[in-house]
Amino acid sequence: MQDYTYPSIFLAYLLFAVFAGGALYFLIRSIKDGYWGKDSEEVKYRMLADEENKYGE
Amino acid sequence: MDEKKAVHSGTAVSSTAVPVHTDTTAKWFLLSAVVYFFIVGIVAIILAAKFIWPEMLGTVATLTYGRLRPLHVNGMLFGWLLAADMGLVYYLVPRLCGVKLWSEKLGVATAILWNFIILSAVVVLLGGWNQGLEYAELPLWLDVLVVVAWIMFGWNIFATVAKRKYVQMYVSVWYIMGTILWTAFVYLVGNFAVLFATGVNQANLNWMYVHNAVGLIFTPVGLALAYYFIPKSGNIPLYSHKLSMIGFWSLAFIYVWTGAHHMLHGPISQWLQTIAIFFSVMLLVPVWTVVYNFFATMKGQWELLQTRVELKFLMSGVVFYLLTCFQGPMHSLRSVNALVSKTDWIPGHAHMAVLGAFSFFAIAGTLYTVPRIFKTRLHSASMANWSFWFMMIGGLGFFVTLWLGGLWQGWQWNNPAIPFIDTVVALGPVWTVRFFSGVLIFLGIVLFLYDIVATAIGASGSEPIEDAA
Repeated sequence: MQDYTYPSIFLAYLLFAVFAGGALYFLIRSIKDGYWGKDSEEVKYRMLADEENKYGE
Repeated sequence: MDEKKAVHSGTAVSSTAVPVHTDTTAKWFLLSAVVYFFIVGIVAIILAAKFIWPEMLGTVATLTYGRLRPLHVNGMLFGWLLAADMGLVYYLVPRLCGVKLWSEKLGVATAILWNFIILSAVVVLLGGWNQGLEYAELPLWLDVLVVVAWIMFGWNIFATVAKRKYVQMYVSVWYIMGTILWTAFVYLVGNFAVLFATGVNQANLNWMYVHNAVGLIFTPVGLALAYYFIPKSGNIPLYSHKLSMIGFWSLAFIYVWTGAHHMLHGPISQWLQTIAIFFSVMLLVPVWTVVYNFFATMKGQWELLQTRVELKFLMSGVVFYLLTCFQGPMHSLRSVNALVSKTDWIPGHAHMAVLGAFSFFAIAGTLYTVPRIFKTRLHSASMANWSFWFMMIGGLGFFVTLWLGGLWQGWQWNNPAIPFIDTVVALGPVWTVRFFSGVLIFLGIVLFLYDIVATAIGASGSEPIEDAA
């Protein structure tokens, strides 16, 4: 029986590297998109008004 | 502020209309999830009873402990919690993005497929068709269907996010996108790559999956819900969006390394164990950013807990989240691990995470969302309140008893003079309290189910509430 242990672990490492690289890319993108700047708190006020809130009360 | 700048920073633009949401997919997912919560709750009660009366139903193969236990785990994780989380994601992402869901038809198809998977899982697990890997018990053909359903879900959500009205996204959307991507990674490794590994390597991959199923699936989507429903339930702005982003990114880079702490003192490399311990302790960083943010949000608003049952569930969930995430890093220390590993402490810890924290978030979200998507009022706030107290008291009884029992068990196991069977017999009183605590939790689930179903059914027979504006 052929042992696939190493290929399977390399696959896991490859997936991990892809996702770690993606995370790094989007972290840098978030700086460019202003998530860490002076307007970064605006979004928390906008979400409170994102729907009509007449139901459920 | 001009319109372009307002859209970029996320401020509402008054000239744009609020989209009309049909929420058909959210209805499908939430109602089926609540029903599975009840059904799998019955399985949980039977399992707890078997600890006290091991012979009970023991002669019926499909109802033996070995068949029911994976059904309980998979049913609660994927039938109740993940389905409820997905339903709530279908509700909040379009609202946070200011657009309609990309495709309700695709969403309903996903819900149908998800229900087919869950019902098939019940049949195969009771039939003993089991891969023998924790959390990855489902057979390969069902794993493939889960991947298909997840791609359908992910496509719908990402396509909705892609056409959003605002450039800057609220932190819940970040966590949801993270959940979708991380689940793909975690599920593929845990259910496919693991099948081709052997021995210690297989165990290592399996524990990476088990731990990250909680840490990179249920944690981020649970926090997405808490970040949405705490401000919405209290109508109070989040304390700091910037702090929430620090929490998100620290979770993204730290969590994935921790799985090997399940194999401390085992046959894996010492360096791998040490890395797992280091990153486990580092988890206190994202956890504290989250918990501090929620407590600071509630500062001066605590009286809202008297009237908003959703907030009771949410803030209790935050406390349980803090406790479970303090326990986790402590378990990963070699000295503590030598005492609590494999004991009843661990199910006490796991239930506090999945029930006390993440299910409480999902219950709160369901109580908030169902009346809104059916355009009515909650059937009974009093019933929801009773449901909370049954789950809270039952949950505390469950968690604390298993922690104490686990410590006792660990001390006995570390004394080679005590025969193993004596350590089993000694835990009888602990399991009795566990059973009755479970009954209380189940009563809470029954009330929750009734409240939600009555809300949905009642809505169809009554006129929609008039617009107060």
